Amino acid sequence: MHETRPAKITSPVVSLGNGYVRTIPVAAIVAAVGVVLAILFSGGLGARFMHAYLMNYAFLLSICLGCLFFVTIMHLTRAGWSVTLRRIAELYAMCVVPMALLFLPILVTVLSGSDVLYPWVDGGWSMGDSDDPAAVATAGFINSLPVAQRPPFEQLKYGFLNPGFFAGRWVVYFLIWGGMASFFLFTSLKQDKTGEGSLTHRMQAFAAPAMIVFAATLVFSSFDLEMSLEPFWFSTMYPVYFFAGAVLSAWATITLTALWFQRTGRVTDEITIEHYHDMGKMMFGFIVFWGYIAFSQFLLIWYANIPEETFWYNWRINYPGWKTLSYVLLIGHLFIPFLAMMGRTVRRSKNFLFGATIYLLVMHWLDHFWLVMPHYNHYVGGGIEGRGWDTFNPMADIACAVGMIAAFIAIFCVICRDRPLVALQDPRLGESLNHEVH
Amino acid sequence: MAENNNNNADSKLIGLLAQFDDPESLVAACNHAREAGYKKMDAYSPFPVHGIDPAIGIKRTILPLIVLAAALGAVVVGLGLQIYTNSSALDFLAPFPGYPFQISGKPVFSIPANIPVTFEIIVLTSAITTFLGMWILNRLPMFANPLHRISRFKRVTNDKFFLCLEAKDEKFNRAASETQLNKWGAVAIEEVRQDLTDNDLPKWIPTAAILGAIVLLLPPAAIFSQWGQTNRHPRLHVVPDMDWQHKFKTQTMAPNLANGLDEVDLMYADLRSARRPVDGAVAFGSLDIDSEMNFGIKQDFAHAISSRKSMRTLLVSATDDKTAESSSGDSPALAADATENIDQWVTTFPEGVEVNEKLLARGQQRFNIYCAACHGYAGQGNGLVNQKALALAANGDATWTAARSLHDADVKGDAKNPVGRIYDTITNGRGNMGPYRAQIPVEDRWAIVAYVRALQETGLKTPGVDAATDGEESAEKVDPDAKPKE
Repeated sequence: MHETRPAKITSPVVSLGNGYVRTIPVAAIVAAVGVVLAILFSGGLGARFMHAYLMNYAFLLSICLGCLFFVTIMHLTRAGWSVTLRRIAELYAMCVVPMALLFLPILVTVLSGSDVLYPWVDGGWSMGDSDDPAAVATAGFINSLPVAQRPPFEQLKYGFLNPGFFAGRWVVYFLIWGGMASFFLFTSLKQDKTGEGSLTHRMQAFAAPAMIVFAATLVFSSFDLEMSLEPFWFSTMYPVYFFAGAVLSAWATITLTALWFQRTGRVTDEITIEHYHDMGKMMFGFIVFWGYIAFSQFLLIWYANIPEETFWYNWRINYPGWKTLSYVLLIGHLFIPFLAMMGRTVRRSKNFLFGATIYLLVMHWLDHFWLVMPHYNHYVGGGIEGRGWDTFNPMADIACAVGMIAAFIAIFCVICRDRPLVALQDPRLGESLNHEVH
Repeated sequence: MAENNNNNADSKLIGLLAQFDDPESLVAACNHAREAGYKKMDAYSPFPVHGIDPAIGIKRTILPLIVLAAALGAVVVGLGLQIYTNSSALDFLAPFPGYPFQISGKPVFSIPANIPVTFEIIVLTSAITTFLGMWILNRLPMFANPLHRISRFKRVTNDKFFLCLEAKDEKFNRAASETQLNKWGAVAIEEVRQDLTDNDLPKWIPTAAILGAIVLLLPPAAIFSQWGQTNRHPRLHVVPDMDWQHKFKTQTMAPNLANGLDEVDLMYADLRSARRPVDGAVAFGSLDIDSEMNFGIKQDFAHAISSRKSMRTLLVSATDDKTAESSSGDSPALAADATENIDQWVTTFPEGVEVNEKLLARGQQRFNIYCAACHGYAGQGNGLVNQKALALAANGDATWTAARSLHDADVKGDAKNPVGRIYDTITNGRGNMGPYRAQIPVEDRWAIVAYVRALQETGLKTPGVDAATDGEESAEKVDPDAKPKE
């Protein structure tokens, strides 16, 4: 029987309360242990550790950006159903500000002129295949040329990929993302106190131009962060691929966090099974979207069969271990969740969603591992560790993941503090509380 | 409300229709009815009412499962169709061969290429199944419903809410049900009756249907009756102008139409329908008497060439040394010269080719498009295609002759390769390199020649050597070389 709930927050606990004080020290210790272990497994702060760091950083940053997208799109579409979930996304989006500090190791590496991460830092352009003397000769030859004498395309890329411009771009990205996240969070917090409807209108008006700027920065940051690891290679589909994974993992993170809050007795009344059902639908949709984009990118390169594009996939599907990982992603990131999340009953089960969101986040982590690590395996570690999985040890990445995720949780708790975990006086609160899925 | 007998011969009781004024009382009444044990009932409202589905006890639809099954079937059909049409290589399909086409060097059957087609078939099948499944599950189309005979019911699309208890239900009882509906808050109650008097089809409809079917069957029957028979009548030509145009088709013999169609009388003695061009005729845009411009050969060596035919011979002989002797019937000496005499090649750019920055830029752009794939951007012979082919050849997967570096001692310089010979290489190919005359216009070929000379002169020898200083010293040399002859 349908009843109309009054637009009022009824949960007894709507903030982390003292929970965050207890969580932070534990998380900080785990973070320190994880990162130290990662450095030990990597044998120092060299290329191995930096790649593990970059990979995990991209994983966490993509979640923040996905949440920022969630907030923006919900304002842009004037969505009512998601009001009670929006605060969680706002808090995660705000994490992008401390994430700017975590970007410093990467930025310092680039600015110091070290090419342990990006071969373009000291002007190096690499095909990376050290087995192939001709490729090494080509790369070496191009690297030996002054910029003005390089092939035209590589001259253009050099104008884009150089440490100074790179640093400048990242400052702009973080200013834009930080600005958007703080605007949404603080305006929403202000509305918690005053309940002014005009604040919602202001956020909606802001969301439209913000979405355009967000799209542009997301595109270029995905080029910078991971695609430029291999400056010879390029794919215009790459930002969409990054976006699909980011939004999918953001959906999973928001759902997982909501489940965690409710299991610990917070915001028990506001987030209903109807919201979880819709989040499940969104995840299902983005699973398909991710697969669609991933396959589109592959199909174009596979069909055109141009050497300067295919080598990127060659590394990932023709070498032992990486080949297996590619199939794991295809089946584990697309087929299994596609079939598993298809049914209505499972999407309305909190226990199922709890497992499914963790599973999707693990898959998203593997996705970034797959994007970054073959590059290290071939280009940096090529001569030393060989090309296949048999000589590649992922322990450093796993330890680094544990450490950085713990650090991220600590950051999230600091951002949350005793702020309300649900928008208290949003004008569409009633619509969200009475939300019903058909 | 009149008390009617259920067994009335003219009409049959279908159920009781109760009217409510707001959605809340409708949902409440539905809940009461379900709790009272009614199973066969339906609610009608102007808009979707929250919570009505569980209130009347409607189960979840099985449509999603039907669509899933159809989609999985579409995967099998879509992939199977492509396997069948693409690969007669499969043994068990040998009696029914498909059309195996190799495209872009991909395997005849390759999964990635078939995914988009399969995907579209899945989407199409799912959409159609959803649409038709919804109709079937809802028992559509329904041409008549007794509810529509009740004038009160018309307001269901406007502002009233109705609940209909069907007479087929076990719990249904005319009087008791009405009492219950009243108790649950019905504003008005009416009987729903089906008129039994005109239930039968009008008599003329079956007759008309049979006649119509016969008429529709006539055209196919007429066609099939002619199947396999010989017909001596000429074919029917609706537009004779189009069927018999006054022209000859290519590579056909020419009938003399003046004598009629039946008489075999050819117009020309050589049996061809088309006339060959007069000796010395030149197709528009293909005048190539300037041997320096068009062949890179000095006039002194080419002045004997007077006809298009011998020009072509020259082309053939320049492409292939072995066939030179046999194919050049009219001027064997010239043909031999064309391949062997290094003096025949022009050593300066022909008149009409002005070497300047613009030409070099054009040459660089064309070089990067056509040549760099094998010879590399700097002409080192390390283009990506060359690298990949060498790697394959090293594994025994392919045979490949390595592309030359343009900076090798035996490639570089006027003694080995005057500009005329480089031009000839681009035009007709050399060794395993194919001819590019079809792809690159004459002016662009000279532009590439200029760029190749510039590359060679700037002296990019081996990877790693600092080319900048070397290049500056010899950069001046390009200009004198570039002056047109005379």
